[in-house]
Amino acid sequence: MVNSIFLQILTGLQLGAIYVLISLGLSLIFGTLGVVNFAHGAMYMLAAYLGVVISAAWGWEIAIVLVPAILFCLGLIMERGLIRHFYTRPHTDQILVTFGLAIVVQEALKWYFGANNLPYPTPDWGSGIARLHEVLPFLDGFVAYPKWRLIVTGVSLVTVAALFALLQFTTFGLVVRAGMRDAEMLRFLGINISKRFAIVFAVGVMIAGIAGVFGGPVTQVDPGVGMVFLVPSFLVVVIGGMGSLPGAVLASFLIGLAISFSADIPALANIIIYLIAIVILLFRPRGLMGQKGVME
Amino acid sequence: MSTPNSNFYKKDIVPVSIFALIFLTMPLWFSWIGGYGGLDTKIVIWVIFAVGFDLLLGYMGYLSFGHAAFFGTSAYVTGLMLLHYSDNIIPAFFMGVLAAVIMALIIGQLTLKRSGIYFSILTLAFGEMLHSLVLSTLQDWTGGDNGLTGLPTPMLFDLKMQGHNVYYLAVFIAIIMYYLARRIVRSPFGLMLSAIKTNPTRLEYTGVNVARYKLAGFVISAAYAGVAGALMIIYEPYVASEFMGWHLSGQVVIMSVIGGIGTLFGPMIGAAFMLYFENVASVALGGAWLLVLGLIFMFIVIFLPGGFVEAGRKVRARFFGGAS
Repeated sequence: MVNSIFLQILTGLQLGAIYVLISLGLSLIFGTLGVVNFAHGAMYMLAAYLGVVISAAWGWEIAIVLVPAILFCLGLIMERGLIRHFYTRPHTDQILVTFGLAIVVQEALKWYFGANNLPYPTPDWGSGIARLHEVLPFLDGFVAYPKWRLIVTGVSLVTVAALFALLQFTTFGLVVRAGMRDAEMLRFLGINISKRFAIVFAVGVMIAGIAGVFGGPVTQVDPGVGMVFLVPSFLVVVIGGMGSLPGAVLASFLIGLAISFSADIPALANIIIYLIAIVILLFRPRGLMGQKGVME
Repeated sequence: MSTPNSNFYKKDIVPVSIFALIFLTMPLWFSWIGGYGGLDTKIVIWVIFAVGFDLLLGYMGYLSFGHAAFFGTSAYVTGLMLLHYSDNIIPAFFMGVLAAVIMALIIGQLTLKRSGIYFSILTLAFGEMLHSLVLSTLQDWTGGDNGLTGLPTPMLFDLKMQGHNVYYLAVFIAIIMYYLARRIVRSPFGLMLSAIKTNPTRLEYTGVNVARYKLAGFVISAAYAGVAGALMIIYEPYVASEFMGWHLSGQVVIMSVIGGIGTLFGPMIGAAFMLYFENVASVALGGAWLLVLGLIFMFIVIFLPGGFVEAGRKVRARFFGGAS
């Protein structure tokens, strides 16, 4: 009994670990720039493909460093070259252009790599199973869990912590948080907010990149996977509260756990995330931790 | 406003007649430009879908990424009616559209209360919810991944709905739907929709129940999607699970924007262009045609937000002087 509950919690955390990385980026970009990035799932997918290619060519250690770095640069280019020109245009145009980008990335990957799922093997040090009963005394008997899934969860938690530290304890973070609250005031104070927001955008894309390179082996690497993750991530952002980072974290793990615990009833597991979203929309439209008045 | 004078109706006669003329004669000339029989029917069906979508996006300013939900709901209900009730298309068609309207009432209640961004995200999500329901929970009814197969040949009483019969039925319905859309746009109700796009807050302050108008606009748009979905099944008696998927929602977004939203005829041009382009370009480019379409779409969103219609206006202004 203890074992199965423990494993379900672990699976829930692992599912939430990928959602949290994608939705944190979404929420960060929305909170600072007011842009809903429909291409965010495509960025996750691109990172997974890059992970497959780079880890096969130069090894996993290189891929872990290089893929997020590439995604960071892509994010900068995307913001400076494309998104920036859309700040003054209607919201529908922002959505349309990021949606177009998502289609282009997806179709380009499909055209180059084909529509099939690419094999994405985990590295030697991350393969196999971890014998959890040897470390955790409260479990009885034999309890094993795939090592890579534990690593994904761990990486995700470290990334979340690092992002919060960046925003909470650095001057850069202070300025960004102030910008989220009142960008106009900050401009009056003579702070170059647009440069910092470009970096924020790039950080958001980079986090999706971390999710892609680590999450790829757990999920799938095919041209449809971007949209498969974008939809739940949107719901995470809605449930947690638009633009609220702690809300995104809370909602991701809530959804991960809900999917994990309802897995025995497939009819429910497929739609549980939507049901939670409906309940939230009806009874708490601003989301679990959303600020009053924001997108209500 | 509502006193009908002859002038008021005349405004519609010319465009609707041109529309009717083009589509009624289409089977005669369509093969000259490389279209195959059947593609013309598909174009007419998508034109209906796109016109309804334009009422929502172009006039009310709400960008839905879940219109496949209504197209698909209607398609499945039409298919199930043909399969289990009667092969007569009349009850199937009306139940299909009715189902789409009811679905729109439910989804509209959940999604329309928030701003435009929220609406786009949530329509995408609820569309995917129905897609996943069709593929998993409801698969005993819908046939899951394989789609709903084994439908009988749809009949209009004693008339088999095949080939030209379907085509002219679709054109007949399209002419009515186009005429209705034109009337809606110029009615006081249509004015309210435009006011929602321009400034919903101000509209609210003037004492208008904005939420009700938004829901009405959304439901009307969904009804157009429902009509298109039902006709698609009458044209080709097979319900694919893709009819519920976001790809289909994305397609109607792309064709409307490429053609030029807020004009009614722009999205029609977009629909015709996209299906024709798919037919021609997929031969030359293979699977990459979608990539090319995506690039065209991005180009238009970035540089030419008014789509083909704006391009046409610009060309006209340059060569004949004076913008229209």
